[in-house]
Order: sequence, then C-alpha cells, then structure tokens
Amino acid sequence: MTDLPIKISARNVDVFYGAIHAIKSVNVEIADKMVTSFIGPSGCGKSTFLRCINRMNDTIDVCRVTGDILIDAEDIYDRRVDPVQLRAKVGMVFQKPNPFPKSIYDNVAYGPKIHGMARNKTDLDEIVEKSLRRAALWDEAKDRLQEPGTGLSGGQQQRLCIARAVATEPEVLLMDEPCSALDPIATAQIEQLIDELRSSYSVVIVTHSMAQASRVSDRTAFFHLGELVEYGDTSHIFTNPSDKRTESYITGRIG
Amino acid sequence: MTAHSTKKHGSLLVKDARTQRRNNAELRFRAYGLTAVIVGILALIVLLVSIFSNGISAFQQTKLMITLELPEAKLDQKGQRDLDVMKKVTTIGYSKVLGNGLIDQLDRLGIATDLKDKDVREILSKESAATLRDVVLADPSLIGTTVTMEFLVNGRIDGYFKGRVDRASAELDKNVKPGQLDIADALTEHGLMYTQFNLDFILAPDASDQRPEAAGLGVAILGSIYMMLVVLFVALPVGVAASIYLEEFAPKNRLTDVIEVNISNLAAVPSIVYGILGLAIFINMAQFNQSSPLVGGLVLTLMTLPRIIIPARAALKSVPPSIRDAALGVGASRMQTVFHHVLPLAAPGILTGVIIGLGQALGETAPLLLIGMVAFVREYPAAFTADAGLFGEASTALPVQVFNWTQRADPAFVERASGAIIVLLVFLLIMNALAIFLRRRYERRW
Ligand SMILES: Nc1ncnc2c1ncn2[C@@H]1O[C@H](COP(=O)(O)OP(=O)(O)O)[C@@H](O)[C@H]1O
Ligand SMILES: [Mg+2]
Repeated sequence: MTDLPIKISARNVDVFYGAIHAIKSVNVEIADKMVTSFIGPSGCGKSTFLRCINRMNDTIDVCRVTGDILIDAEDIYDRRVDPVQLRAKVGMVFQKPNPFPKSIYDNVAYGPKIHGMARNKTDLDEIVEKSLRRAALWDEAKDRLQEPGTGLSGGQQQRLCIARAVATEPEVLLMDEPCSALDPIATAQIEQLIDELRSSYSVVIVTHSMAQASRVSDRTAFFHLGELVEYGDTSHIFTNPSDKRTESYITGRIG
Repeated sequence: MTAHSTKKHGSLLVKDARTQRRNNAELRFRAYGLTAVIVGILALIVLLVSIFSNGISAFQQTKLMITLELPEAKLDQKGQRDLDVMKKVTTIGYSKVLGNGLIDQLDRLGIATDLKDKDVREILSKESAATLRDVVLADPSLIGTTVTMEFLVNGRIDGYFKGRVDRASAELDKNVKPGQLDIADALTEHGLMYTQFNLDFILAPDASDQRPEAAGLGVAILGSIYMMLVVLFVALPVGVAASIYLEEFAPKNRLTDVIEVNISNLAAVPSIVYGILGLAIFINMAQFNQSSPLVGGLVLTLMTLPRIIIPARAALKSVPPSIRDAALGVGASRMQTVFHHVLPLAAPGILTGVIIGLGQALGETAPLLLIGMVAFVREYPAAFTADAGLFGEASTALPVQVFNWTQRADPAFVERASGAIIVLLVFLLIMNALAIFLRRRYERRW
C-alpha cells in the first residue's frame, strides 16, 4: 500500500442492532483522494459500516456504535459533534436513486441552501451548475432544470443524487451500491464519474459486483459476517488474497 | 418411453372440474359483492329521496300581502312617537290591527266568508304581529299611514300550498278550517297569497313550536360554523404537531406504545363520553358559558383530535423513508427533514383526514346535548351581534337543531327538520369536495 494521507480511520468499531452484532471490532484506515470499495456477501455489514461514517445509523433507534471513527483525526462520535455538520462534510449516495420530488434545480440547491453556502441567487446558480457538471449531468439537464428530478431516468436520477451530494462540498463521498438499480450503460457512466471524483474526494463505495470493485477502486476491503477479513490494494486482493474466505468469495464459492 | 407419456394435463379446450369449481366460486363472490353494493346504493337513494321530498319545501314559504292602515289610536295613543311609550303596545295590540286589516282587505276584494273574525285572523302566522310591530318600532312615522306588507301565513295554510293539508284533512284538524282554505284560494287568485323562496329559513333564528312557519336555521348555522372554526384552529395544529412528534421524533418505547394504543382507543370512544368530559372540564371547572359555541367547539375538538392524529400519522408513515435518508444525507436536521420534505408530501393525506374529522364533528349531536346546546335559541346570541365576548353566549348547532325540531308536535317541523338535514348535507358535501380537490391538487408522486 502506498503512503497517502489518512482521511478516515476506524478503531475497534462494533455495531449492534439490539442483540444483533452487525460489525465486529473493525479496524481500517481509508486514504484521501482514493476510491475504497467494500465488498462481501449480502448481510455482512457493508452498509452498516458505511452508515457509521456519516452517522446515518443515529436515525435507527436500536443501533448502537462503539469504538472510534476519526475523520481528519477528529472523533466523529464525540459528544460535541453535531451529525448535521458531519453530514455536510461526508456526503452520501444511496442504493436506490432517491431524488426529492422537486425540480432538478431544487434537488441540487437544497444542501447549499440549508448550509448557507450561497449568498444570493447567482451564487446558487453557480453551485448548481458546478455540481451538475461534476456529476456529468449538466448537458442533459441544463434545459430542464425546473422539471421534477423524479422524471429523469434511473441513471440520470443517480447522477442527480451524486450532484446533490457534491453540492455541499463534502470531503468524503459514501456510496452504497450506487449502481445496483441501474442498467449496464448507466453503470458505466457512474463508474466513469467515480473515476473522475477520485481527484477531489475520498470515495468509499459499497458494491456487490467484484468486477466493479476491481474497475473503480484503489483499495478493497472484504467483509464477512461482520468482520473485516482482508483489506489492501485492489490489485492485490483480487490476484493474491491472503485469507481463504476472500479467495472463496472472489472465486464465487461463498456469497 | 412413448411420445404421449409426457402429456400429464388434459386438453386445454375443456375445463377440468377444479377450474370449473374455482370459476363458480369467483362468480358467486362477485354476485355477493354486487348485491351488497346495490343494496347500499338503494338505501342511499331511498334516504335522499325521503329527505328531499320532505325537506325541499322548507326552502319555500307562503306569504300574504296585506294593505292596511296603522291607526294612531291603537298603536300610539299619546301621539308623541316616543319609543318607550310605543313599546307598551304588545304584539296582542298589533295582532288586532293586523287582523282587522286582513278582514278589511277581504271586504274590499269582495271575498265573502262565513268564518268568525277570529278564524279569519288565524290565517296569519302568530309571528306576523311581531313582524309588524318590529317594522313600526323601527319607523314610527308609518303610524297613521296605510302600508302594504308581506306577512307569513299560518303553518297549516302554508302546508295547503305544499300539499301537506287538503280539505279532507282540514275537516278533521282543529287547527285549520276548510273556510280558511277557501279564503286562501281566493287571495291566491288575486295574486296576494303566493309561495316564494324562503331566505329566512337559512337566516332567521328558531321559532317556538306554535309557529313552525317562522323557524329558521340562522343561529344553528352560525353556531356550527363557529364550532368548526374552534375545532379547526385548535385540533388542526395540536393534532398535526402531535402526529409529527409521535411519528418523527418520539423514541419507540413502552411509553409511546401506550400512547399509540390509547389514541386508537380514544378514536373509538363513544362521542357522548366527550360530552361528559366537556361538561366536567369546560363548564364545571373552567366555568365557560353553558351552550356556548366555545365549549361546543372544545368538546368537538377533544373528539376530533384522535380522528385527525390517526390519518395524519398514516400519511406521514406513507412517505418513503428514502426521502428522509436523502434529506438527512445532505445534512438537513431532523426538523428540516420533516418540514421541508416529509410534511409537504404528507400534507394531502393530513388535510383529507382533517376535513373528514371536521365533517364528523359537524354532524355530531350527542356530546352537544350534554353541554346544553339543545337550548331553544330564539334570538341571535349577543356573541354574534355585539362584543359580548366571541363564542360566549348560548347557541345551537345544525344537528342539534334537527334533533330539536323532530321532537316537536306540529307536522310542519318534519319539513323543517328535513330541510335542516339538506343544509347539513350540503355543508358536508362542500367539505368532502374540498378534501377531494385538495388531494387531487397537491398529491405528488415520488
Ligand atoms: N435497521 C436494522 N435493524 C436491525 N438489523 C439490521 C438493520 N439493518 C441491518 N441489520 C442487520 O445487520 C446486518 C448487516 O446488514 P447490512 O449492513 O445491511 O448488510 P450489507 O449491506 O452488507 O448487505 C444484517 O444481518 C442485517 O440483518
Ligand atoms: Mg447493503
């Protein structure tokens, strides 16, 4: 593994849903300006761990997180941290495209508006354009900014969600199986987009497709039954896994 | 293995016994359903036809035009036009003047009758003397002149024009004589007695059981409207706030479970129980005026709250969680998530619930009887006309007025009660139409 600055670091993280022990003592360090993918069989806790990084798990009553997660060396579970502020810094894209039932413009402008990032309409217009360009949606959407975001195709909706997430200028971008509801063409577009986002963000992507993990990510973490089994350079994991479980998974024997 | 051995099923062109039985069962079920729907629709039609055939005539009223002198000697002996002195002449005095006016008019027109003068006078409503007195007291300069005015006729004569009374029934009825009907016919020929639209049914207050022809719904309508305003302005914010809190903020634990179960139970509590509660709290403890629309409105609010909270929570619950995730994911607070995203999507459902709740409250009678809104209200309450404290004075409400009128002996009140039901139905129809409109208008898909 090359030496890049560490953005996120998790130490002895355990997550419980009531009595279910979903994440078991995970330690991981995620580098800045890189794409890190989480793979593993369904139900192994990839989403759970991802949602710890922006504290979306706080919204689930029964969910309890122990251990430390640090972003830029600050413990995000510290009592002084307001999850609302954290989520402006750590953006998230969900499995199913979930644009607001509002116009395309309002979808992108919502985050900057509530965080007071634009002083006037011109500022806001600029942010919207920049974000849509980042998400490679500007050309398709520029003439229909006032149309509802829900009227776009699935792939466009997901790119709209990415534009919405990058509009608040996050430093980390979390993506939970962003392509699982999309067709291959839309998937390819999103993957290309992720490749471009790498230069500006620390991207963490959960995927069930090993091909996707190997295509887009620099590093890969393999989860199994709540444990982080193996973590390392993607090329290494896929060609020369050190754990038997990883090997079985990538060769298709489990999962 | 032979070729036909793979053929496990019979011909598709012939239905097997099982399919036949299944199809028959489905046909039977459809027949039951259709029968139920038809029975329901027939019952509704019978109901509407009976209400409308009885009640539509309440919107018409028979009037009599009389030209009469207002003799100073009878109405203002002192001749000073001093109101305080003039008020000493009661409706009995005016009744004589009016009766004589009618008899004179019959003489002038040459309408002969063998009825006693007293019976001729009774063609007019008992209310008409009061009408004349009010007019004269409002404008004393009329005394000494000859005026032409419209007066209500007695309920039986009115019934004659509406087909409720005929000569055969008049023979048996001690409240009306066939001779009076002859006079009515003669006056009709002269164009002086006629039936016309009865705005007073909607605007006038109630009248005593002796004069159904003068009874109106004005106070009841106003009372109902005031109560609905109280319900709207108390139950809507409280109910919506409670459902948002319970649905979006409250932790899910034993306590909130208990609250949830109890809200469902409250919605099922018989409405009369809320009347007892209101009596204890608002009248005995808080000392609000009995029969006032404020108390009525608050009692209906208690009753309506759970009926607003339950659909409001359902509407909030039906907003997909992915919308909440999306908002929280870009860093909206929970409050922003609710007010910017969830509530607008739930609003049509909440509004529909509110309007249906209001509709139920509008038609509710039992709890109002317990807090004394059954009172006979002859005048517009001061609350409606002066600054005696809004919502303060005794009033009544539409459904209570219906109940009240059905209790009275005179058959003319059956017509009035049915007319009141029509008014109530119109209000409900308007509210339901509003609910449908709002749902259509603001329902958004996601
Ligand atoms: N909201 C929840 N409540 C209770 N258990 C949950 C919840 N979400 C996930 N789990 C459990 O946690 C485990 C990990 O789930 P998840 O993180 O969604 O897996 P993955 O994303 O890898 O498929 C599963 O066993 C799942 O049943
Ligand atoms: Mg998942």
